[in-house]
Amino acid sequence: MTQTEIIQILAGFVGSIGFAILFNIRGKRLIATAIGGLFSWLLFVVLIKYIKGEPVVYFIIACVISTYAEIMARVLKTPTSAFVTTSLVPLIPGGSLYYTMVYAFQGDLNTFLPKAIYTMQLASALSLGVIVSTSAARIFNKVFFNKNRNKI
Amino acid sequence: MIKSFGYAMDIGEQMLISGAEVHRVEESINRMCYALGAIRVDVFIITSSMVVTVYTKDGNTYTQTRRVTSTKNFDFEKLHHLNNLSREICEKGLTEQEIEKKLRAANNCKKIPVWFEFICYAVIAGAFTLFFGGNIIESFISLFVGAVVRLSLFFSGKIISNKFFDKFTATVIITLLAFLTVELGWIISVDKVIIANIMTLIPGIGLTNAIRDLFTGDSIAGLLRSIEAVLTALAIAAGYFLVTVLGGVFL
Repeated sequence: MTQTEIIQILAGFVGSIGFAILFNIRGKRLIATAIGGLFSWLLFVVLIKYIKGEPVVYFIIACVISTYAEIMARVLKTPTSAFVTTSLVPLIPGGSLYYTMVYAFQGDLNTFLPKAIYTMQLASALSLGVIVSTSAARIFNKVFFNKNRNKI
Repeated sequence: MIKSFGYAMDIGEQMLISGAEVHRVEESINRMCYALGAIRVDVFIITSSMVVTVYTKDGNTYTQTRRVTSTKNFDFEKLHHLNNLSREICEKGLTEQEIEKKLRAANNCKKIPVWFEFICYAVIAGAFTLFFGGNIIESFISLFVGAVVRLSLFFSGKIISNKFFDKFTATVIITLLAFLTVELGWIISVDKVIIANIMTLIPGIGLTNAIRDLFTGDSIAGLLRSIEAVLTALAIAAGYFLVTVLGGVFL
């Protein structure tokens, strides 16, 4: 791992803690989200070396992080979205969305279209990963626990 | 009885405002109403409106609607309490007074103080400057710009509460400050400072959540949120563009 990658991982970690505090996550839940934020970019740095294509890596990381979120949500009895939203912050295609809009304003179709499609790919990969894990968690719950309790 | 259904809607409304997904709110209201003694519940929720019809055992039907106007702010502490409250209603069956008391407690849960938000914005901006490959000096400048962004949001929120306008002015200020520091010769390029500060404004989380809504079947809520995300991004890009164009004319 190079120095820049380590700086990136730590910066992403601090950034996601910042968002977690801003979204009013407290106590144990804050620690859990912070760990998620650390691992989301760590996984990216590791996986991007072996797998071609950022969207695929994004999808895998979203699956892993939201599985972690599902587990932590059940342990700490809180909604899953708290962990998913903040732990995935380093992966959020904010920069890419920004460039898309800048290109749109410049009116250059040749740079705008690929960037727009790329942003949509990243966002879709992220959300699909989250959905896959959420559905898997529901199936797992039904099959193995089959509890008919009022779980929300 | 009718009052408790009203509280169930209040809980749902507050959940929606503090950032819960639409299908979670629908599910919570559904379960709460069944637990409170309904025989059939019809819930329809989009991000700005709620309609709930409840059929009781004695043959009556009650319908309530809510217009959700308050802007959505992620508040996961409140959501945590509301979620536990709705769980308790389903499992233990609380009385009206208990529900009211606990709902009020959840609404008045701890918030982060405003001065701490300034620090958060600054730290996020500073961290993401390093994240996107900026150096230490750029990161320090971002820290200050981040605090100024929060200040700008604070004032524009008081004068005109239009979130597109808020983000537009904030972006104008970010871009101005970034170009100013380049003019003064402190940093070489504006890119890193601008992108890092825009991370707190850009609807990246909004866009991802919108697509998630679309895939889970809440098409209308998902579409509304995607359009909101695109419009916010447009407002931000417009702010950036205004400054660069005017800067090109005057400098």
